[in-house]
Amino acid sequence: MKKIQILGTGCAKCMKLTENAEKAARDAGVEFEIEKIQNINDIMNYGVMITPALAVDGVVKSVGKVLSVEEIKKFL
Amino acid sequence: MSEQKEGCCTTGAGAGDTCCGSGAPTLIVACSGGSNAGQVSNGIMIELDRKGLGNAYCLAGIGAALSGFIESAKAARTVVVDGCPTGCAKKAFEKYGIEPSLYFVVTDLGVTKAHNFDKLPEETDVALKAVLEKL
Repeated sequence: MKKIQILGTGCAKCMKLTENAEKAARDAGVEFEIEKIQNINDIMNYGVMITPALAVDGVVKSVGKVLSVEEIKKFL
Repeated sequence: MSEQKEGCCTTGAGAGDTCCGSGAPTLIVACSGGSNAGQVSNGIMIELDRKGLGNAYCLAGIGAALSGFIESAKAARTVVVDGCPTGCAKKAFEKYGIEPSLYFVVTDLGVTKAHNFDKLPEETDVALKAVLEKL
């Protein structure tokens, strides 16, 4: 089970990244759960200073970008 | 790290694809080492943050290979301040292929490295002025 984490306070770009991550995981046939990390202090505890950010199983893969479905698949 | 100005955005906001609009944020990193020069670098980082020129950021997070710190440094504009030519902060960046946007070495800015802290405020002022002239 992959844990896909979306770090961001919930703006439109964070939601788009969430949508793309869900589609990427489904397309890849990966068992997954999505965790939204929206509290600013929790986000900063990851060292993330620009959002949206994507982490997989606690490892930050991308900061400050709405990754495409194909880009996200490479991290799964 | 300094306070967040609004939402999830740092001072200066983010690049086009971020939550925050235009312009990459500036992260300021100092070696903060165990000499007067290292501590002057730390003082410069704090003063640049106070002046709103960027956000003080943790070199230790990069040194510790924490993914969020590394990826944030890759995505941001970075100002790196080392205390001496040993260049620990710059080398920590290089380890992850990150080229600082601006780079300063305190001993190039009128401060002689020593292992005493007697003149720290004065030395910080001298070096800070030199940095501000180059920003």
